[in-house]
Amino acid sequence: MIKKLFSLILVLTLVGLGGCGPADDPDATDPTPGTDGEVVDESTISFTHLWPAGSSAQHNRIVESIISEYEEANPGVTIDVDVLSNDQYKETMTILASSRQLPDVGLTWAAGYMTPFVNGNMFASLDDVIEDGLGEEFIPGTVEAFSVNETAYGLPLELNIAPIYYNKNIFAEYDLEVPETYDEFLNVVQTLEENGVTPITVGNREPWTGSMWYMYLADRIGGPELLTNAIERTDTFEDEALVQAAEEIQNLVDMNAFVRGFNGLGNEEAKGPFMNEQAAMYMMGTWELPNYTTNEDVPQEFRDSIGFFKFPMVEGGAGDIDSFVGGPGVGLFVSEDSPVQEQAKDFVQFFVERWGETSVTDAGVIPATVVNTDEVDLPDMYIDILDELAGASNITLYADVQMTASVAQTHLDLIQSLFGKHITPEEFAKRHEEALAAEE
Amino acid sequence: MNKVMSNKLIITLYVLPALLLIMVLIYVPIVLTGYYGLMRWDGVGEMTFIGLDNYIRLLSDNQFWRSSFHSLLLAIFSTISLIGYLIISLILATKIKGANFLRKIYLIPMLLSSVAIAQLWLKIYHPTNGLLNSLLFTIGFNNAPAWLADRSLVLFSIFIAIIWQYAGFYILIYYAALKNIPESIIEAAKIDGATPIQIAYKIKFPLILGVFKVTIILAIVGSLKYFDLIWIMTGGGPAGASEVIASYMYKQAFSSYNFGYGSAVGFYLLLFCLIATWLIRKLTTSKEEIQY
Amino acid sequence: MGKQSDVVKTESNTSRKIGYALLYLILGIIAVFQVYPLIWLVKFSLKSNREVFSESPFALPTEPRWENYTTAWTQGNIGLYFFNSVWITVVAVVLTVLFASLVTFAITRMNWKFNKLTLGLFMIGLMIPIHSTLIPLFSFFLSINLIDNPIAIILTYTAFNLPLTIMILLGFYYTLPREIEEAAVIDGCSINRIFFQITLPMTMPVISTTAIINMIYNWNEFVFINTFIRSDHYRTLTVGIQSFIGQYATDWGAIGATLVISILPILIAFFFLSNKIVEGIAAGAVKG
Repeated sequence: MIKKLFSLILVLTLVGLGGCGPADDPDATDPTPGTDGEVVDESTISFTHLWPAGSSAQHNRIVESIISEYEEANPGVTIDVDVLSNDQYKETMTILASSRQLPDVGLTWAAGYMTPFVNGNMFASLDDVIEDGLGEEFIPGTVEAFSVNETAYGLPLELNIAPIYYNKNIFAEYDLEVPETYDEFLNVVQTLEENGVTPITVGNREPWTGSMWYMYLADRIGGPELLTNAIERTDTFEDEALVQAAEEIQNLVDMNAFVRGFNGLGNEEAKGPFMNEQAAMYMMGTWELPNYTTNEDVPQEFRDSIGFFKFPMVEGGAGDIDSFVGGPGVGLFVSEDSPVQEQAKDFVQFFVERWGETSVTDAGVIPATVVNTDEVDLPDMYIDILDELAGASNITLYADVQMTASVAQTHLDLIQSLFGKHITPEEFAKRHEEALAAEE
Repeated sequence: MNKVMSNKLIITLYVLPALLLIMVLIYVPIVLTGYYGLMRWDGVGEMTFIGLDNYIRLLSDNQFWRSSFHSLLLAIFSTISLIGYLIISLILATKIKGANFLRKIYLIPMLLSSVAIAQLWLKIYHPTNGLLNSLLFTIGFNNAPAWLADRSLVLFSIFIAIIWQYAGFYILIYYAALKNIPESIIEAAKIDGATPIQIAYKIKFPLILGVFKVTIILAIVGSLKYFDLIWIMTGGGPAGASEVIASYMYKQAFSSYNFGYGSAVGFYLLLFCLIATWLIRKLTTSKEEIQY
Repeated sequence: MGKQSDVVKTESNTSRKIGYALLYLILGIIAVFQVYPLIWLVKFSLKSNREVFSESPFALPTEPRWENYTTAWTQGNIGLYFFNSVWITVVAVVLTVLFASLVTFAITRMNWKFNKLTLGLFMIGLMIPIHSTLIPLFSFFLSINLIDNPIAIILTYTAFNLPLTIMILLGFYYTLPREIEEAAVIDGCSINRIFFQITLPMTMPVISTTAIINMIYNWNEFVFINTFIRSDHYRTLTVGIQSFIGQYATDWGAIGATLVISILPILIAFFFLSNKIVEGIAAGAVKG
């Protein structure tokens, strides 16, 4: 109401301005075609994604080809694409949503990120698309991450897990074996450290990277459900196992396991020492795979020297080595306000299907739909990862994605403090509990 | 004379376009920011009116006050650094050889966008192979700090980058002001046997005092709402050690989806700026001055 | 000039020389600090991603990758972005400097009751953090159908730079002698003529100064352009730079190349305008 009133006053003042301003006519309406979906006779679907040709050439190309295929198959339908850079995407979506101007189709992240949009009635239910047969194609659990109250509001496009990549040459040099237990792992860390090699590189200026280390320790010590339950408040962060996981992080910090100055390094910067063979291990999502397989910009010898292993078992812990930290990355949403909602749903269905078929071979993306490894020609590391995915006993969604945005912010700050040893494991647990309690 | 200069129509014509623009594009958002501060709002869904809750909650929000303190520190640092900029400008504005060339060189950093400057300083401060630590290693200093990861150093490390970034801006203004001083006054002083330092201190500085006061306000207000390099280089971290008001506001509004709360932070920021400006003008207005 | 050498002779020659040597040493060191970023940027733009994060970020690229420039120029619409950057910057700078000069003239030279209040209103305009304005401004431009219209950008740039520009102009207007304008009034000049033919030329140095500052700000701005412009058609170079920052990978070499491309015109404009700071004085002096 008040917003409307303001707008009215604004319009009046600006019209007044036109009279004294320069030659420009501010009242002229925008002549560019196809920017807004007001004309519906020849339906136009606006679609915003975050893969600019500059940084994500392969993604961009796949999107373009899916769109042209769709337009060919559906005469009269035009897809109007808007590409935003990753840095600006979330902010821009918030601003668009505040004025109910979301594109007809766009990308969203799972769980905590999408909840405000769902609560604000911005996203359309996609249950009908899923019931239309698409449901079976998704890997179990991925659609659930994009659901609120059992209704799906997003169709996942990627599924990643986070293994630990390691440099085989460095391991061989110091006679190290891939660790299967946490004690062996600590031994590896210690040997490397004593020989002046950085054991692990992590860019904890972006604390979601450090959060994954904590999550794995929580999983291996406390079992696959514990952390998720604590976030959902059916259990608590003050559980002994979760506190112990935090202790182990600080123990690793004390052992100099992590690269120097990790709290001041971004993920891209932290990747440097691993790519230059100065650091032996790096935990990251499987979106990194192209760098170790197909990316021609990376020297062949380096790519060949990289392997991965699963986070080792903690003796006496409740965890299982086939449990992973990971989750679907982005998914497609359809706007509730879209004047072409039905057509848009048809488009997302087509998109997900085609994406599933091409993304892994053309862009090295592991889609959230089932990939038939017999039919596609993939580097070995991909096959191995896909096998691990198939045999995974559990995938725990990234903690900061599970949490609501504001608790996630607290969690990320606390991870930095924990790694930086600014707080004790007990405080770490307590502050999580406080933040979660404040949300209720 | 006074009549011509009191022509109401002309005054209106001269002031109105600019005034309308800022009224619509700056004041309306200011008012709305204050208004959103009264709401519980995630920026996306429905708003709920909660009165002054956000504003009251902020008064006991430690991280907010910590951020405010950091912003205040930056304001103090920037103001002190103005003296340095002024001295450089005073030297450049004398007729020493190459002054014109040097002046242009000095302004180069201000041409670069924050993205580029942040990348440069990230590489200077890199804990292992950064320029700074490489230098420290070569002179045998083996325990060089990780500048941006160290809670006690991060803020000052970024301050140095900011002070460097703004050197060009203030030197440009001071230089133009100094060049504005009529040559005859300086010549006269030279004939009277004044040394260059005396000329600078007793003649040039008082003549550009008006400009200097303006830059103090610019530096303080600019520092209080500073965002760019801090956001790119540390994101306010580690664990809030380099958080400033603007980055805290941004996090609340756009990362945590507490748009109402973030708006309240923005509104306090405006208040702080107002108070600081008022204080500065009180402190710097001397009795004999009428214009200010 | 002659006077200066007289002074030199009267003082101890050697200590002066040492003083100057020291002065130049210090000035030289500062100059290196200030010019280095440009050199660094050029080196950076010729590196591969691997080298960017490699052992020594300050080393020369092993094999200069000129293809970063081809990538930067061919990916996306850098040519179009470039053109948009130029015209949007120019229009906004002209508007800002003109409006700000008019206001400053009215505040400092003309007699009216509310001049201090008006000045105060403009000063408060300095104090709002831009991120607070995004949502209100977006919904405003949407309501008057100016989203995805460069007019929205030009108006926003003008409005947000006005307070700063006025503040800088103000300091100069106060120090400027009023005698010439007063004489013109007595001669029966109209105010418009006084402003455009006497005051504006006299303030050329500071106008150049504010023009440089405005130009740099507008050229590097990306928050507003990214928010209010939805189609590629009106985007500017800063958006082009952003487009190399990806979801999982960032092409740093191409960012470097785009940065170099984008800094060239502003560097040229800057050198040109910054000469005006000195020339302007000369022009003003002649008129005086």
